[in-house]
Amino acid sequence: MQTESNIDPKIIEQILKFSKNVIEAPKLVSAPDEISLEVTPYDVVQEIDKTRLLHYSPLTDKQHKTPLLISYALINRFHILDIHPEKSWVRNLLEQGFDVYMLDWGTPTSMDKYLDFDDYVNGYLDNYVEHIKNESATEKISLQGYCTGATIATAYTTLHPESVKNYIATAPVIDGWRDTTVISNLAKHMDVDKMVDTIGNMPPEFMYYCFSVLKPFEQGIEKYVNFFKNIENKKFVDSFLRVEKWLGDTPPIPGELFKQWIKDIYQENLLIQNKMYVGGQRIDLKKIDMPVFTQVAVGDHLVSPECSMPLHYAIGSEDKTLRMYPTGHVGMIASSLSQKKVLPELGKWLLERS
Amino acid sequence: MHLMASKPQALTSIGPMRAFTSNSKKISTELIEINELLREFNQYYSAYYKQLAETWSIAQKKVNQKSQKVPHDVEQIESVKRVWLDIFDNDFTELFDSGRFGENYGKLVTKELELTKHWNNITNVILQSVNLPSKEEIDEVYKEIHSLKKRVTKLELELKKKGKVKNAN
Repeated sequence: MQTESNIDPKIIEQILKFSKNVIEAPKLVSAPDEISLEVTPYDVVQEIDKTRLLHYSPLTDKQHKTPLLISYALINRFHILDIHPEKSWVRNLLEQGFDVYMLDWGTPTSMDKYLDFDDYVNGYLDNYVEHIKNESATEKISLQGYCTGATIATAYTTLHPESVKNYIATAPVIDGWRDTTVISNLAKHMDVDKMVDTIGNMPPEFMYYCFSVLKPFEQGIEKYVNFFKNIENKKFVDSFLRVEKWLGDTPPIPGELFKQWIKDIYQENLLIQNKMYVGGQRIDLKKIDMPVFTQVAVGDHLVSPECSMPLHYAIGSEDKTLRMYPTGHVGMIASSLSQKKVLPELGKWLLERS
Repeated sequence: MHLMASKPQALTSIGPMRAFTSNSKKISTELIEINELLREFNQYYSAYYKQLAETWSIAQKKVNQKSQKVPHDVEQIESVKRVWLDIFDNDFTELFDSGRFGENYGKLVTKELELTKHWNNITNVILQSVNLPSKEEIDEVYKEIHSLKKRVTKLELELKKKGKVKNAN
């Protein structure tokens, strides 16, 4: 009878080490509330309702004339664009000499359930653009929209082209029917009228469900296994916890805005067909005639490239650039690739037009 | 029976709880409807878990076929884990991306919302009985505030424009 085991002793060693790491984790890592996601200093220069306009402190002696306003997404918060000094989108642009503003959409409450696209596009965004124009004594600004923030920025750019000198669309949600993500499949089968009528704002819990169906095993198991394996690597742990804290904090989406969002983008796909209306005005993408830079991530599983790219072909602009990067939705804005490739290319493009 | 019972109930009730008692039949009606709805909800709920369980079972079979040998070293374990993750992520993504999942999930959420609606109706009866505004009444106030804010912003803009014209002259 064979009694000798042929299992590699390294397996036992690894299991023991992993167990030790799990036990020691609470002593080695900070609690989420101990981690501050505020990296680059800024001033709050204007507040409307629950939204805020942030102005980052310059990091260079001289700055380019045209200020840049970033319209962040409606899901999670703006911190991902400034999540870590070494991976900060904002800091990189400041170091390239740009004058950077950020739109923080804040946390809508039940009272805000009637806020719609018109309020976001012709209300908040327009007010903040006017504020920046006055403050910087310029007639036009550069506008960047990220993810769902790019849909709002796209609508704004078509309705107020006189205020936008350059438009940067980063992973924009544009063509809902071409979107191949799971999110789009769920959105297409949603009775959004009933949802908004019954619960008002789109609750964060539902957003978390939608995120959980995206690569559930890689994101729900392997990611945490890796975390415990690397528990002694301070740099890794710090970066991991920052992103985790950011992922775990998403505000509700105002009901009416969400309703129009799902219907006009995912269910009826009106935006790309130039049939969407905001505040009684038709969104005609052909009216976007300023320089446009569209950034798409090939591995984006939140907004598929097929959903973003049609913007490049639908706009009226002659000076337009489409760049595709071998990364994901977050990787495009907060990774070493974004620092080495995405931001230098954007900076060069913007500098030539600022 | 519950409809008949509400009248004698109301007759015997006194004071501030009278409204609640006279409206109690609404609660009973809502509860009956909730019960009927639960049957439909459970149907979609079972289908939801059936889809998950079936996908799991198929994915596990695929993993078993791909890695038939028991892993004996760290590299082999890593490789089996990679296979497991890839197959499970692919199969589940395929499920979540399918029309049958989207349709059933959409119906499941709709039924959940209908249940919530009935619960809201019950809460409204209770709120009214203690002289508090119902959800619909609060929504009306929110709508009015939203519309007023829009009007104020418009008026402010017009004033600003008029001020600019005045200054230019």
